[in-house]
Amino acid sequence: MEGHTVRTFDGDILNLRMQVLSMGGLAIDQVQRAVQALTLGDEEGAHDVVTRNSQMIAYARTIEEDIVGLIARRQPVASDLRAIMTVGRVATDLERVGNAARKIAKIALELEGARGYAPLQRFYNDVRKMSRLALAMLRDALDCFDRVDIEGALAVVHRDAEVDSEFQLAMRELVTYVMEDQRHMGSAIQTVFLLKALERVGDHARNIAANVPRFARRDETVPVPTPPLASRAPDLGGGTEAQPDPRALGQG
Amino acid sequence: MVSTDDKVASKPARAPVTAATALASGGAAFETKTVGQVTVENPVVTARHVDVYYGEKHAIKDVSLDIGRNAVIALIGPSGCGKSTFLRSINRMNDTIDSARVTGTITLDGQDIYDRRQDVVQLRARVGMVFQKPNPFPKSIYENIAYGPRIHGLAANRADLDEIVQTSLQRAGLWEEVKDRLEHSGTSLSGGQQQRLCIARAIAVDPEVILMDEPCSALDPIATARIEDLIDELRQNYTIVIVTHNMQQAARVSQRTAYFHLGDLIEVGPTDQIFTNPSHKLTEDYITGRFG
Repeated sequence: MEGHTVRTFDGDILNLRMQVLSMGGLAIDQVQRAVQALTLGDEEGAHDVVTRNSQMIAYARTIEEDIVGLIARRQPVASDLRAIMTVGRVATDLERVGNAARKIAKIALELEGARGYAPLQRFYNDVRKMSRLALAMLRDALDCFDRVDIEGALAVVHRDAEVDSEFQLAMRELVTYVMEDQRHMGSAIQTVFLLKALERVGDHARNIAANVPRFARRDETVPVPTPPLASRAPDLGGGTEAQPDPRALGQG
Repeated sequence: MVSTDDKVASKPARAPVTAATALASGGAAFETKTVGQVTVENPVVTARHVDVYYGEKHAIKDVSLDIGRNAVIALIGPSGCGKSTFLRSINRMNDTIDSARVTGTITLDGQDIYDRRQDVVQLRARVGMVFQKPNPFPKSIYENIAYGPRIHGLAANRADLDEIVQTSLQRAGLWEEVKDRLEHSGTSLSGGQQQRLCIARAIAVDPEVILMDEPCSALDPIATARIEDLIDELRQNYTIVIVTHNMQQAARVSQRTAYFHLGDLIEVGPTDQIFTNPSHKLTEDYITGRFG
């Protein structure tokens, strides 16, 4: 779209987007490192992830302050206003991805004593697979956000079902293990939390992708379908479910 | 001429179109290039296929628009887009310009205002106007208000006139500030007070429509806020058409907004929609500050 007559306004919006993308890069790295620390038993790496979560929070606060300042100074309307509000929502989703990474790192620290326990390594295979799927979604969602690629974003939204079904599969597998040998119960419960955290990363990636059409002009947007209820993972009481943003999903 | 039956107007497509057919409230279809709903139920003013020329210059091109009762409609657009020209054609202020020529139809309560039998002085009493720069008469505050009702024979005696002066100043939110100095000159008031005096002067002759041509552009933010508050109160009793370059003001005071560009009426719609989801790219580019 053509630039604003006041060119510093374009600079302000660009700056906001760059901050969100930097935050996104950090979020991906946090999840990656947390899973690595878990599966490799890297205690120091897990501590690093927990410490670095404050950077994620700082990013979110800075972006929020910049948005407030931009609204106060520029009084944006129409597509500008939607774009700025979208940046705020993406930052919130990324902050929650950061929380998921911290949670994984904390579980990694708790499970450190049980590393020699053979079934745990088998559970980690599911964790690795889930993290690959969720992180790929997050990378692609941020890439679509960067390029304002609506079609690509739609594809990312649909891929959330894949992460959800992988979650269901892993859950069934865990139940089987626990039924065979109840000594697996403790580590299975921790694994459920790990898998749930990763499933949420997928949900946040879906939300980010679903927000991409909001950057485009109204007449260029396309409706983003809400995933069918059946494909959503059950809430296992592990915290707030990352629900699809109805305003983003239903708009167009 | 278009009838003003109370039937619900049809809703034209919101997507940009090159030519659409709108239905007037009476049911007569007409062509319009404007995006959005140009017709309203029970309009006070209807403009159909209005063109205005200043000599060779084609200032307004085929504009059709209804103005609804007891509501505020804001006309926005870049300089030279025709919004003030359209405003001035509603009470035939363009008649004062020799080279100006108006074609098409504009009706007030169903009567053609460009009909040869139309008394222009009477028309301007029914369609009052407030200008960019406050222009009180160099007379007392009382006389500024009393002049119109007196020449239009609206007051039978001095008591009637006193009541009109008081009511008009009260409606314009100025009474409390000037009630003890009605004999003082109108020009002794502050800019904001002078503008409210001009609004009181306009409503003293009991108009149906008040046209406002950038009424706050010469005022400070506090005086502007008082006028905006007044506009919101006045719409209970009057129809207000306001031309403004201040888009935040248009968003604050109006219920409908019409966007003009190079003499064309590009888009008209509910103010909320125009400022959040405009349908036409030109509207979007203008309100987001991409040109103009």
